[in-house]
Amino acid sequence: MTSPSSSLPRPGGGVGVIADGGGAPVALLEAGESRRVAPPPSRITAPPPPGRGREANAIVDRLRAAILPTAFALALLLAWQALVVIFQYPKVVLPAPSDIWHALVANFGTICQQAVPTTRDTLAGFLLATVLGVGIASLLCFSRLLRDMVYPLVILLQLVPKIAWTPLFIVWAGIGSPARLTIATFIAFFPIFISMMAGLEATDSSLVRLSRSLTATTWRTFWLVRLPASMPYLFSGLKIGVTLAVIGVIVAEFISSSEGLGYLILKSSALLQTDLILAAIVALCLLGVGFYGIVHAGERAIQRWQGE
Amino acid sequence: MISAVIDRLASVETVSMAKDAGDYVVAERVRKIFNPGGRHEVEAVAPTSFTVKSGEFVSLLGPSGCGKSTLLMMVAGLDRPSEGTVAVAGRPMIAPRAENGIMFQDPTLLPWKSALENVLFPYRAMNKPVAPHIDRAKALLDEVGLAGFHNHKPRQLSGGMRQRVAICRALVFEPDLLLMDEPFSALDAITRDEMNLALMKIWEEHHRTALFVTHSIREAVYLSDRVLVMSQRPGRVIADVKIPFARPRGLEIEESAAFNEICGYLRSKIQHRPV
Repeated sequence: MTSPSSSLPRPGGGVGVIADGGGAPVALLEAGESRRVAPPPSRITAPPPPGRGREANAIVDRLRAAILPTAFALALLLAWQALVVIFQYPKVVLPAPSDIWHALVANFGTICQQAVPTTRDTLAGFLLATVLGVGIASLLCFSRLLRDMVYPLVILLQLVPKIAWTPLFIVWAGIGSPARLTIATFIAFFPIFISMMAGLEATDSSLVRLSRSLTATTWRTFWLVRLPASMPYLFSGLKIGVTLAVIGVIVAEFISSSEGLGYLILKSSALLQTDLILAAIVALCLLGVGFYGIVHAGERAIQRWQGE
Repeated sequence: MISAVIDRLASVETVSMAKDAGDYVVAERVRKIFNPGGRHEVEAVAPTSFTVKSGEFVSLLGPSGCGKSTLLMMVAGLDRPSEGTVAVAGRPMIAPRAENGIMFQDPTLLPWKSALENVLFPYRAMNKPVAPHIDRAKALLDEVGLAGFHNHKPRQLSGGMRQRVAICRALVFEPDLLLMDEPFSALDAITRDEMNLALMKIWEEHHRTALFVTHSIREAVYLSDRVLVMSQRPGRVIADVKIPFARPRGLEIEESAAFNEICGYLRSKIQHRPV
């Protein structure tokens, strides 16, 4: 165990596993390796000789992860199409996937046009909720008094179904974009705030103590320890928040609006254009994926920045 | 060998002034009570006094829960004594001091930072420029056998390697006092021996005043110039034992009769809870 070779890959018995980005174990380290062990970097970063099979496996896994859900979705769509064709459902009740596709193509301009205000309000509301959520959580982190005063109230407020407030916001902010933005902000704020708060409070207290022992100021400790430590929490909150922001905007558009995908859905339902409703929902689905992708990209960027 | 052992129970008289010009750490009738007046009031440290001379390696040895870590935290300025005072370098400790290097039971590394970045963390915490110290940080990592691991994340390192990064971090800004709170107690016996060797080597080279908390008798004897034995909770220093071995010390001194004699003496001093 004390021989210098103990840091070489060893089947079994390893304690720490060095993994590269792809997740392939590169070297196994024993907890009890010798202190004189100083293998050249090349030995650590070089892939293990029998890594080819592993790489092939990784590719197969990735393909499997992509193909399985796609194939299942296609099968569902086919079954749907077959059902409509065989039982001759009227288009108003259940349009076939092909009908939805046609509606999507025929109304592409309208859908894109209506997607603009929905996207704008969602993103603006989400951004505002992020700034408020992160800002207020950080502020409460600096003052015990403020935290004990505000936090229980926010938790209480969060128990009320947020959608119930929508008509009130419309009364206050009018039937324009500001009302929709306010609702999106309000609804997205809570998961972002609460997860940020949880992240800041879950920070390893020994890291905070270390920082304090090194005479770091509260602000320095926040910036160097608490904030980076809370990032995984924050991003899980952001992912929920961005989804809720879309819901908020759509509901607001249902209630009172003359633009947006929610408005298009409501108008189409009044005109019994079921295929157009579903086409708009497809568009919403794509938007949702896009928003989620933005948050995910942000998370990766932060991870990479932290990793430097 | 017992003649080399001096019990010193008399308390020190003066507070802010060092009793002896060489005394670097002076703890003066220090007492710590948690939740004073409350239902869960606990006296962790009974009024106790001790000193550490400049350049000396002193261990606080005692059964678990005897308040030795609390005592160390008070020397570090992370905890305020309920009574009495702690002075370091002639100044009373009322807040953490920038010249203290500290090691905890856990490596306490930032998981998202590389080994090198973790070693440089004190400069970041103190809001000082990092660039001039990178070479020194790298040299320290090399010194403890972590060449080639500078850019590894803590999760990619073994327990012993992580604690070595923590040693480097405690030494990088050249603190004059090194405080260690059972730094190796979470490691297995073999790694622990290696860490003791590593610490001994690096301490002999950098030669700081050191206060080391442990519940391992052999570790205390191997590392220290002096061992302070603490009683059961509420803990106080009940014996002050000089360790006469010359430095540099190899692990082989642990096999000597003198070593075992001192260990036996210390063991007899430690009061065990009645079974």
